[in-house]
Amino acid sequence: MKMFNGVKRAVVGAIIGLGVLSLVACSSGDGQDTSGKTEISLYSSGSKNVEEFWETVIPMFEDEHEDIDVDFVFVPSGTGGQSTMDRILAAKESGNDSGVDLYEGSLEDILRGKEDGDIFYPLSSENVENLDNVQDENLAGANDLAVPYRASSVVLAYNEDTVTDVPETAEELYDWIKANPGRFAYNDPSTGGAGSSFVLTTIYNQLAEDAMSIQDESIMEEWDKGFDLLNELAPFMYKEGVYPKKNQGTLDLLANGEVDMIPAWSDMALEQISKGLLPESIKLKQIQPAFTGGPSYLMLADNGDEARKEAAETFLNYVLTLDVQEIVIDEMYGYPGIKWDLLTEEAQEKFADVMDGYRIFNGGDLSSKLTEQWQKEVAAQ
Amino acid sequence: MTKKWKSAILGLGLVMPSFLILLVLVMYPVWSSIKTSFTGADGQFTFEHYIYIFTEPLILNNIRHTLTVTILSCSLVLIIAYSIAIYLRFNQSPIAKWINRTYLIPMFIPGVIAVYGFINFYRDNGWVARMIGEEYMPSIIYNVKGLLMINIWFNVPFTTMLLISALQAIPNSIIEGAKDAGANQWRLFWHFILPLSYRTMLVALTFLFMGIIGSFTAPFLIDRNAPQMLGVSMQQHFSVFNAIEQSSSLAVFMFLLCSIVGYFYIYSNIKGSKKEL
Repeated sequence: MKMFNGVKRAVVGAIIGLGVLSLVACSSGDGQDTSGKTEISLYSSGSKNVEEFWETVIPMFEDEHEDIDVDFVFVPSGTGGQSTMDRILAAKESGNDSGVDLYEGSLEDILRGKEDGDIFYPLSSENVENLDNVQDENLAGANDLAVPYRASSVVLAYNEDTVTDVPETAEELYDWIKANPGRFAYNDPSTGGAGSSFVLTTIYNQLAEDAMSIQDESIMEEWDKGFDLLNELAPFMYKEGVYPKKNQGTLDLLANGEVDMIPAWSDMALEQISKGLLPESIKLKQIQPAFTGGPSYLMLADNGDEARKEAAETFLNYVLTLDVQEIVIDEMYGYPGIKWDLLTEEAQEKFADVMDGYRIFNGGDLSSKLTEQWQKEVAAQ
Repeated sequence: MTKKWKSAILGLGLVMPSFLILLVLVMYPVWSSIKTSFTGADGQFTFEHYIYIFTEPLILNNIRHTLTVTILSCSLVLIIAYSIAIYLRFNQSPIAKWINRTYLIPMFIPGVIAVYGFINFYRDNGWVARMIGEEYMPSIIYNVKGLLMINIWFNVPFTTMLLISALQAIPNSIIEGAKDAGANQWRLFWHFILPLSYRTMLVALTFLFMGIIGSFTAPFLIDRNAPQMLGVSMQQHFSVFNAIEQSSSLAVFMFLLCSIVGYFYIYSNIKGSKKEL
């Protein structure tokens, strides 16, 4: 009996203990540092290669600038990257410190930040010297609010052994698809940018050249022609209209030899070719008019802290140095943010096949509307 | 009196942690989903999201597809698992022993890995195709056939485990007694084994239904692009179309489907325990 009481007491104790534990809130650390170092944070999102890139660059930066500590927070894509943006906006609205200094985001984020209350500091060559070296066309979209430090685009990836007549233009590509039923695949546009770029460019190739920067929904009425073309192409696609999930889904099909040609991200394809995940017979090519692509932007959030702002500017400047840009090329297989002629000839050669540029889609929310319509009109056929 | 109080407090104390966790992690999200599904863009009460999911052909097809896949998978899994369970209960051969040792393996292979293995095995130029010749290979990946197959792979082990334990609970004396009285194998099955194990079957069916109707990974990677399973469609509405209200109403609808099945489960349990009393 006594033993039973002991057990009972232990159980009650455990329950109370658990209860107390569950009530204790997590304490949140603040950015204060006692050692005189300035601590800044970098929030980034994306695939594994982005995470590895920052994990290489940040220690290099900290070695050179011992008075600055960079706290890296990585939010894997698809797990709520938008929440970082919401967090900065909410902090600005309530006048608090968001704890986010540098934020890696998209063109949409820049525009949203501008509209919803100037949450980013203006950036120009006055405070970030190396911005002078950045490619002009990338800088245009940044609105003086971001550093376009690297870029990538969607290109055509094809198997050299089986494709003899490589398409040069979009029209030739559509003809190739029809002439080679079942040998082309693009991934479900809701699951990856390569497929969504194919859908997007196919639709906008039927419209005026400047249509890609229209954000007004009235343009949706003009999409029909492009969707008709997609539906016309559907029976000639892989398995008469199967669109694999994720950018990797089509790359896998290409690697297995189930298809001969796909749209793919330049950096993903280059990396997989060099690591042997894709056979060496896979070649890349940009067609004209080009697929879409674009830079990745780093923004500097306004938290009203001068020391952290300066440290962050130093960091941004560092990202645009040749050292870091070479890591972009060598490790990420991305396009550099700085002008091509500043790079070594060897590096320039590496991108010769895909350097023909890309188009930037600036339609904002329209891209998700487009995906939705694709799901209804093309996938459900 | 004090003893009564003590045990009452102990009882409450034992229930409280799980109740609180349930409240925070389950009840609150459920409530907020339901609320979101009835909120329009202007913040007012509206039925528009439910009207959308029950009139939009895209979603209607998805609902039809989800129910077909779920019901087909449940029946197939139940038939296979029940056959295995019966075989293992009444057979002592080395093959049975071998199956007994291996049938749980699929449970220990993580979902995504199993799906990728499955794709590599059954794709049009995968292992199976290479063995039997590509021209004889039926289309399995990116097809509903593949989805049914992987659902069987994922669900048979657990269902079999449940059913075996139910069958093992049937005393040998009953079976021997029936045999002595002259019952043939069919009679034995229909009048003894099935009635004594059907409640566990109902439990297994509930688990199967809820697991399959809400599945995501397998349908996302194996099924065709349209029609989709509701889990995939919900994710797409949520994170691609940014239609949070519509995905909430889909979630509520799925919750209702599951609660209907859950109701039958609880109902039969209550009936069962009343009988026992």
